[in-house]
Amino acid sequence: MTEMAPIRVVLADDHTLVRRGIVAILASPSIDVAGEAEDGRSLLCVVRRTRPDIALIDLSMPLLNGIEATRRILRISPETRVIIVSMHADRDAMRRAKRAGARGYVLKDAAPERLLEAVRAVARGEESFPVDLAPTETDTGTEQVLTSREREVLQLIVEGKRNKEIAEIMTRSVHTIRNHRARIMRKLGVRSATGLVPAAERLGIVRPASGMEVR
Amino acid sequence: MKPLRILIVDDHALVREGLRRLLATFPDVTAVGTAADGREAIEAARRTRPDVILLDVAMPHLDGLSAIAPLRETAPEAAILVLSMHDESAYEEAARDRGACGLLSKAASPEALHRAILDASAGRTLPVTAPLTPRERKVLSYLASEASDETIARALGIRPRTVEKHCQRMMKALEIRTRAGLVSYARRCRRPPLS
Repeated sequence: MTEMAPIRVVLADDHTLVRRGIVAILASPSIDVAGEAEDGRSLLCVVRRTRPDIALIDLSMPLLNGIEATRRILRISPETRVIIVSMHADRDAMRRAKRAGARGYVLKDAAPERLLEAVRAVARGEESFPVDLAPTETDTGTEQVLTSREREVLQLIVEGKRNKEIAEIMTRSVHTIRNHRARIMRKLGVRSATGLVPAAERLGIVRPASGMEVR
Repeated sequence: MKPLRILIVDDHALVREGLRRLLATFPDVTAVGTAADGREAIEAARRTRPDVILLDVAMPHLDGLSAIAPLRETAPEAAILVLSMHDESAYEEAARDRGACGLLSKAASPEALHRAILDASAGRTLPVTAPLTPRERKVLSYLASEASDETIARALGIRPRTVEKHCQRMMKALEIRTRAGLVSYARRCRRPPLS
């Protein structure tokens, strides 16, 4: 009887303790943790390098959130299947994950067995989404107002990056970034960069503090 | 020396189980129990008499901060180490006031967790993570509510230029380089209402 090759997985979560804990949970002969990342951009590098079967990614990573990272991963490495791992139990986030191309969504308050089942199911080609999530108050209607590129820029602005840094991270010119910034502010009806912060939260691009969650 | 007995309190099962397995890699500590909220934590502390309690700060039913006093009462010999997401240093002063040894970010490494556990059990207070003055914290809470510098100045009875100076000082202390970044930080630090 032939042995199945281990499922190659990469993990991304900026909470190192949580990420390392999940690595420990995954430790088994049938799973090979091929790489880890602390933010959405280094995740893309790790995926490019390792071409994993599965990417387990947190929804709210710095530099590039889980939803946008999912889109990019599917372009960089189409054979890689994405599972979002999140503490956010809201239907809206799950819908956005599905729309972005994720094959699974696992809650951090799920039992470890659920995570392992999801990894195996998605590796087999199935999907793994929870059925009992609560609806949320996030403003999905306006989500499509911003392009994917604009959403990436918005996250970096709100994370406190200056135009020059954003330009470097996204390998674009400062001029291009300034244009994006101006367009974003115009589209969102906001007159200062600080006003972008609550808008980014409403659009689900960054998450507010855990205490402010609907859950 | 017997391994230190650790109680893990976090509302996310994956996090609880992950921490348990991480602790298993250190020979001088051992997980003696887990709890999913403050109420379970008090029960578990009574039952297991831990040396150190790892306490998540944002949990349902009885949140981390509110659980500190009852835990100190139930298990006075246990050192309490509050675990938080990044930038919840707003909780730090409140946690220490209530009797916790300190606050450790979940972004810390397993080695940092191990060190913090050893320090806490030896009665060594942990270094304070983000030293902001009370006035700066007040300005920060206004920033979190989208107040302009003029509004904050009026509310605190100071000049807008002084508000600007407070912001610059905070940005330097926190290594944040834009006002948008400072507002983000302020909003992430906002404490939820205690149940």
